[in-house]
Amino acid sequence: MPPVALPDLSIVVPLYNEEESVGPLVDAVRDALAEHPSWELVLVDDGSSDSTNQVAGAIAAADARVVLLQLARNYGQTQAMQAGFDRANGRIVVSMDGDLQNDPRDILLLVAKLEEGYDLVAGYRMRRQDKVVTRKIPSWVANRIIIWLTGVRIRDNGCSLKAYRRDLLDQLHLYSDMHRFLPALAAATANARIAEVPVRHHARRFGVSKYGLSRIAKLLADLLTIKMIASFRENPLKMFGLGALASGVVALFFFGAWLWSFVQRSDVLDVSPMNAYVFPGSALLCIALAVFLTMLGLIAEAALQKVRAEEQVERFGGREVYG
Amino acid sequence: MTGMATRERATASLTGAGADPEISVIVTVVERPEPLDALYREYAAVLDACGRSYEFIFVSHPYFHEMLEPLLALQRQGAPVRAIESPRSIGETALLRIGLADARGSIVVTLPAYRQVQPQAVRELLAAVDGGVDLAVARRWPRLDSKVNRLQHLALHLTAGRLANGTLHDIACGVRAARSEVLRDIPLYGDFARFLPLLAIYNGYNVVEVASPQHPSDLPRRVYSPGVYVRRLIDILGLYFLLRFTEKPLRFFGLIGAVLSGVGGIALVVMFVQRMMGQPLGNRPLMLLAVLLATLGVQAIALGLVGEMIVHFNASRRRSYRLREPRGARDESAR
Repeated sequence: MPPVALPDLSIVVPLYNEEESVGPLVDAVRDALAEHPSWELVLVDDGSSDSTNQVAGAIAAADARVVLLQLARNYGQTQAMQAGFDRANGRIVVSMDGDLQNDPRDILLLVAKLEEGYDLVAGYRMRRQDKVVTRKIPSWVANRIIIWLTGVRIRDNGCSLKAYRRDLLDQLHLYSDMHRFLPALAAATANARIAEVPVRHHARRFGVSKYGLSRIAKLLADLLTIKMIASFRENPLKMFGLGALASGVVALFFFGAWLWSFVQRSDVLDVSPMNAYVFPGSALLCIALAVFLTMLGLIAEAALQKVRAEEQVERFGGREVYG
Repeated sequence: MTGMATRERATASLTGAGADPEISVIVTVVERPEPLDALYREYAAVLDACGRSYEFIFVSHPYFHEMLEPLLALQRQGAPVRAIESPRSIGETALLRIGLADARGSIVVTLPAYRQVQPQAVRELLAAVDGGVDLAVARRWPRLDSKVNRLQHLALHLTAGRLANGTLHDIACGVRAARSEVLRDIPLYGDFARFLPLLAIYNGYNVVEVASPQHPSDLPRRVYSPGVYVRRLIDILGLYFLLRFTEKPLRFFGLIGAVLSGVGGIALVVMFVQRMMGQPLGNRPLMLLAVLLATLGVQAIALGLVGEMIVHFNASRRRSYRLREPRGARDESAR
């Protein structure tokens, strides 16, 4: 044992305007982990405008196992989670929502599964207690698309209750809204071994839901990003090369149509071939696109050269084998 | 006379046994400078009246070399004044950073080289910073200047001002006070010193405005060359992107690209259907426009993807959040 005993298990909970939930949440975590010898609870106040900070601060002051981090402004759930991960000391880290919809009694189930030899264990919500049209259906569609795009079979990416090995979190750096795609990201960038465990889900008791239907466009952009990272992070130039190739094929098609019109003596185009300027024009535009994409790929390669070289050392430095 | 006495004390502490002044005043000399010694005397009098120790750092373009002469005379008389000249003509942001690197005070006051507000405003700004505010900004209010100036002010606030969600009413005012670590922490580059309060809010610092009557020397009508307005517009666009999309470039470029290629794609589909129904295609200019839009859209999306790639690979070295009170990072040594 090291001289300063670090907790073995860290629970990270982002909080945004959860003044009513914090107290019951901490009590539930204490009850659930009553048998566990060494744990800590990292509460992250994401710039709440209500009294979350005061309530959580009082709890943290009274219990040495509870830590409160306060973000300087409202950054978002991803950043709050990353702040908690950065602070968490545990060999195993569990993240969960601060709105009491996850049940702390599931924490040890996830940890037990993780100890079987996984890097990440994701909960999936059984009998989810949410509105069907605005929450469940969009979520189902999104999960299908994520599985289809990334090949990572996670039923419920939206469930915050997850357990991670510290080593995995050290390799992931969350930004933007990426916490939702954490398993896919972990699989794509860190070759994480992932498992799923069913977890309980409760209806929201306090406050209002902080999600809405308006996020679909953002979700699509994020999905495209995840897909790109999963498929081309080893070789960005390949992505642009493929794009340029596709564009070149379209250009050939347009040229072909034009030449065909000479052979056919305007029967195809119903105009004299020399007046069919649209086809060579379109072909030239597609060639311009192909050239542009190639150059973009080269500039991406140049811009990323240094970070990618460093990152490879970090990534392929090897992974400890657990018994 | 008491003012003089305090000033001498401040000087003594400055040159004395390495004691740092409480306040560093950084004056960036970039445009329309007034006589700098007079500026110094006016603001120093206010700081003397507050009973604070201070130093003045004038950071200037080589273009204004002559204007620094009276400052050197003040310095020889023992005034806590320093003059720094950049080797070449650089922007206000770079001058500010040069000044910051040399500032020793725990509080930094920034001033333009001309009087925008009554010097007494500094007293209130300092009071706000003492009261725990991270950055206090003077607001020229009530405004007394010409309609042309106010129109420009309005234009700035209808664009860049919106990024502050209506909490700031005079971002262009250069009279500001902040704890020095706040100013050092905010990543300033390019021409963004102008938008310092917006960047401070974005980095989670609390910013307040202190209203102060506009100074008569700020009243004359200001008209710049067209190039200046174009640069400002580009700055504002850059700021908008920086504050909203730095971590998610594809949301910005992707939206543009989706709209462009969506319109182009619909036009292509419509023309394809019409071609199937027998309408000739080879001489329709619309076809060229549709292909152009589609390729432009793909280009925008591709640019967004490059941006995402760069963000992804640099995620580990970017700070994506700031804690209000850092309570010790993870204890790496005990691991």
